[in-house]
Formats: sequence, C-alpha cells, structure tokens
Amino acid sequence: MTAWGLAWRTLVHNPARACLAIGGVAVIGALLFDMLLLSRGLLVSFRDLLDTAGYDVRVVANEGSPIHRAPLDGAPALADAIRRLPGVERVALLRTGNAMAMTPGHENTAAGVTLIGSTESAMSGAWDIVKGEPLPATVAAGQPTPLIVSTKLAELLGVGPGSPLRLRVSLGGGASALPALDCRVAGVGTFQFEAEDFYTVATTMAGFAAAQGAPESEGDADLVLVASAPGVGPEAAARAIAALRPDVRVYSNAQVVEQFNARAFTYFRQISVVLSSMTLVFAFLLVATLLTMSVNQRLGEVAALRALGFPRRRIAANLLCESALLVGVGGAAALPLGGALAVVLDRILRGMPGLPERLHFFVFEPRTMVLHAALLAATGFLAALYPVWLAARLPIAATLRREIVS
Amino acid sequence: MLSSHRARSAAFVTSLLLAAAFPLLSAPAVSDLPTVLVSRQLAERGKLHVGDTATFANDASGANATRFRVAGIYEPTPDPMRFTSPRIEARLHLPDLQAMTASRDDPASGESVRALNIRLADPGDADAFATAVGARVPGIFARPTTRARDGSDPFVVLERFHLAVAIVTVIGSTAFLLALMVMRSEERRETVGIIRLLGVSQRFVLLVVLAEGVLIAAAGAVFGVLVALAAEGGVNQFFQWRYDTTLVFVRVSARIALQSVALAAPLGIVAGLVGSWTLLRRDIVTLVRR
Repeated sequence: MTAWGLAWRTLVHNPARACLAIGGVAVIGALLFDMLLLSRGLLVSFRDLLDTAGYDVRVVANEGSPIHRAPLDGAPALADAIRRLPGVERVALLRTGNAMAMTPGHENTAAGVTLIGSTESAMSGAWDIVKGEPLPATVAAGQPTPLIVSTKLAELLGVGPGSPLRLRVSLGGGASALPALDCRVAGVGTFQFEAEDFYTVATTMAGFAAAQGAPESEGDADLVLVASAPGVGPEAAARAIAALRPDVRVYSNAQVVEQFNARAFTYFRQISVVLSSMTLVFAFLLVATLLTMSVNQRLGEVAALRALGFPRRRIAANLLCESALLVGVGGAAALPLGGALAVVLDRILRGMPGLPERLHFFVFEPRTMVLHAALLAATGFLAALYPVWLAARLPIAATLRREIVS
Repeated sequence: MLSSHRARSAAFVTSLLLAAAFPLLSAPAVSDLPTVLVSRQLAERGKLHVGDTATFANDASGANATRFRVAGIYEPTPDPMRFTSPRIEARLHLPDLQAMTASRDDPASGESVRALNIRLADPGDADAFATAVGARVPGIFARPTTRARDGSDPFVVLERFHLAVAIVTVIGSTAFLLALMVMRSEERRETVGIIRLLGVSQRFVLLVVLAEGVLIAAAGAVFGVLVALAAEGGVNQFFQWRYDTTLVFVRVSARIALQSVALAAPLGIVAGLVGSWTLLRRDIVTLVRR
C-alpha cells in the first residue's frame, strides 16, 4: 500500500476527527483566502474603475488631490494647450459639485445629487446612456438645461428622457439660497463612479455654471481628463503636460493608483497581512496538534510497522501525506467557502460612505489561488515536521513492550 | 463646529511647506520675527528646533517667502481619518498666514479664511445651525463635527467587518476544539469504560467532563486575553512606528475581554461535552474492548 493509501485509510478510520479537522482547515483557509483577496482587491478594482473611464491622465490644481479637487486656473486654455500636444488623443474638462434634484411641484421629495459638468456630450466608460440621448453639443437660448441622470435617481424620482427636473445647488448638503434651475432629462445612464448611497447628474459646463448662479464661470473646471494617443502612453503624456504648466499636478492612472495604494488602501493591506499571518499560524497549530495527537495515539501501530520493516522514510511519508490530505481537502473546500465569505465581507465594507458602487474590496485574481495553495502547502509541511520527528525517533522495542504491558 | 478643512480658529494649519522651504535658514533666532509652531514630524524632517528660524513659502518657487521663529514643536492630535498621511504641518498666527497668502489682485483675500470653528451654546442645535447657515449665506458649507448616527460612519463599518472576521475565526476555532476534544475522548475510552465498570454513573462522568471543560475553557479564555494584552503593545508600537502617529490602534478593554471570555468559555464547555458524548452513548463493553 502506498503512503497516500495508508494516510487515506487512517483518516477514514476516524471520520469524525477527519471531518472536524478538514472543517477547521476549510474555515481558516477561507479566511486566509479572503485576506489574500483583500490585500490587493481595492487596488485591482480601483485600477479597473479608472481604466474603464477611457482617460489615462488626470490634471488637477496644485492645492488639491485627484479626489479632493480645487478649481483649476485657466482651465480652457490649459485644455487647448494639452490638445495640441502630439501624444494626446482626447481632452475633457470636468467640474463637480453638490445639488438637490426635484421634480417640479414635488420639492419635498428632493434628492441630494453629485452634479457633474462636462465639456463632453458623452463619456463612455464614465457614464453609459441606457435610455434617451447624450448631452447635446449646444443648447439654444431659453431652452432648459439638459441632464443625464443616473438610473437610481430616475427610478427614485420617476423621471425619464424628456422629463422636467429642477436643480438647486447646495454647498453644505442642505438648503441653499441659490435659485433652482429648470432642466430637462436628456438621458438616463449608469455612472461608474456613483456611490451606493449617492445619486449622480451630469450636465454641460454651461448648465453647471447656470446651476451655480454664475453663468460667467462656464470655463471653470476642477479636473482635466486626458486620453493619451496610442503608442505614446500615459506616462509620456503626463510628463509633457507637466512641462506645460508647472502649477498643476498631473497623474497617470498608474500614479493615481500608486498614490492610493501608498495611503488610502494601506490600512486594508496591513490588516490583511496581520490576519493572513494569524490564520497561517492557526492552521499550523491545528494541523500540527491533530497530527501529533494522532501519532501519540498510534505509537504502538507505528512501532509495529517499524518492526515489520517499514523504514523511517515510509513512516514520515505517511504522516506527510496525512497532513497533505487534511490541508489539501480543507484548502480546496476553503475556496468556495472563502468566495461566499468574501461576498459577505465585501458587502459589509462597501457600506462605507461615498464609495463607488463598482469598487470592491475582495477581487479574485488567479495569482491569489496560487499563493493560497502555496501558503497552505508550506503550512501543512511545517505542521507535519514535529509529528514526523516524533514517529521517526520512536524506540521500537521499548514502545512495543509498553504497549503490551499497558 | 468644525468646517471642512479642520482649521482651528486661532491657529491655522498650512500644508504648503515644500521641499525648498523646510530647514532653509538656520541663522540665529531673531526675537522680532513672527512665531510658528511646527509638528514633530515636520521638525524631524526639517531638523528644526525651538528658536530656529525657518522660511515658509506659498509654493515651490518660493513665492511670498516669510521667515518665522520656531516657538514650539507639537504632537498633532491623532486623527484616525488621516493616519496614513504624514503630518507635515505648522500652525501660524492667522494674520501671518493671511499676509503670506493674500493676493494683490484680490483686496479681500487678506481678510479671508477657509474655515471657522464655532462652539454652540447648545451642541444639540448643530444640525439646525448648519442648515440655517447654508440657507442664509450662499457659498458657506457648515457641518457638525459629531459622527453620523445613520450607519454611514466608516468606523462603524470597520467595526462590523472586524466582528465578521472574529465570528469566522471563532467558527474555525470551534471546529479545531471539537476535533481535539473528540481525539481526547478517544484517548480516554478505556479509562471511562473501567470507571463505568466500577459502577460510576454516566451522569457523574458527564459532570466530571463538564467540570474539566469549564476549567480548560476558562483557562484558555484567560490565556487568550493575556496573549491579547501582551500583543496590544506590540501591535500599537508597530503601527505607530509605521505611520508615525500616536494613534492607538488596539485597546483590550475590560468589555472586550469579558466578551471574549463569555464567548470562549461556553464554546469550550460545549466542545468538551460533544466530544465526550461520543463515549458516553456507547455501552460499557464497547468501551473496554481492545
């Protein structure tokens, strides 16, 4: 009988013990799997989110950051200068603020929204129209301001393409003395950066300025999005833009991700390292203790096998196989269990305010599975070392005599 | 009340300190220079000491550079929302900061502030006050400093996450414990059989097992709390070093210790009983048979 066969029979001989041990390894393995997913989940998800917007360079004012943005001085001139750069394909200006959106006559059901002003009539990736039309390139004088509303807001307020909607800019999230602006819903879309607990509305730059009660500020912006030309790459485009205006900050998507990774995501990375280490120690203790107790219970059996001519190597191989079976079966069961647990934990963490709906904390990558398997295999091997040593150094005659006497 | 940028009313924090402006001048202290307080982190990075002269500027080009005398070094109040950011800060007297940042094109800029802190006579009025300010003064953003109670507080979310991880750990531990107890019961199969043969009742054996479970579970729980207490310092020291902050990351409070004991002890007892049940339900002959 092979070492694997003997290990299998040993486990099957004590089904309750084997099931509990495998169950323990599965639960701990699931937690380990989730912590490995967490260690890079935000990073992968955030990078994916940025890349889907279709722009790979972001330009913001020096005082702000890619998230908390300050107004950019001379934004239209900057955008024109960027457009003329050889490595640039597309440029869009963006401006963001807060507003209350309400249907006329139903002011008491107003919803707080993130208002986006854009120079682009459509921004596939940032928002995708699911109903109606994109923002018109020009709006005739006297016509209501066109809006793209998010699907959630459309559902909340019961509006669709062609519906009238009123916007009142709010600066503190509450009531404002600014007059409301009459608008018309041009389209309904899904916004990639919309948070679960927020609603989003996009309009033209002129519409944004009108909502602010300052039509003369149509040229203001707090973010310039740039798509680099194929073959040039975002890093080269970012360097060229930075050379144009030293008073602005230019980030490629990779740099934004790097910055977030170094600061905002660091807590989750650290906690995943701490918890991964703890789960590994726990798995080690679990397997090592069970195997050691198992060997202690079978000392007579081991001595008898040795007396029959089984070499030490064979005994060691048997214990290693037993450990591998416990960890292997438990580790395999940990994957679906960890997947289900990740969904629950992700839902809990995504309860944080202001997170884009598409941002996830637990993201599956093939490398995570490989790492998970490697860590568990190493743990299983290390856990088997002590029981192997115990069995290998067993004095055969003394153990057999003790067994008979007892 | 704390407005959007956490500025204090008497002294403002500026993060406009740039590489060129860190240590800069180390000329002898001049008593008539305006004074500044610098954070410990800035003092360490810029090698500043009390009495040193430092130059601050609005940007890297050195615009509106002004010399200050370092009057003191302070430890920034730990802020869990910003612990990953290095606290490179300084506090200036408001008129000094306004003089530095005033724009010639905007005469009003010398009298501008970015934020005001307001202490209300009745803190319960904070929401109403913020709404009233927002409605009466367009362009002003007022918000209460108290944490939201609507479940959107990020720390409440983190607490839920940690609780979920703790529950999973407890489930794993329980499986571990059950496996151990089953093995331990198996080890004592013959002993229990002999005791039963001597006439000791099942009930008594169960009580013995229960008492043993209570002792082991209690000892395990206390040991766990002691390990947590020992690890507390290490974890805090590591993260405080990692993020250069005085923020406390782990605190083993009496409540948490009691919660752990209250959860671990019954689990240990139940695991012991379940493990022993596999022996007690068998007849005596099966127990003593080799």
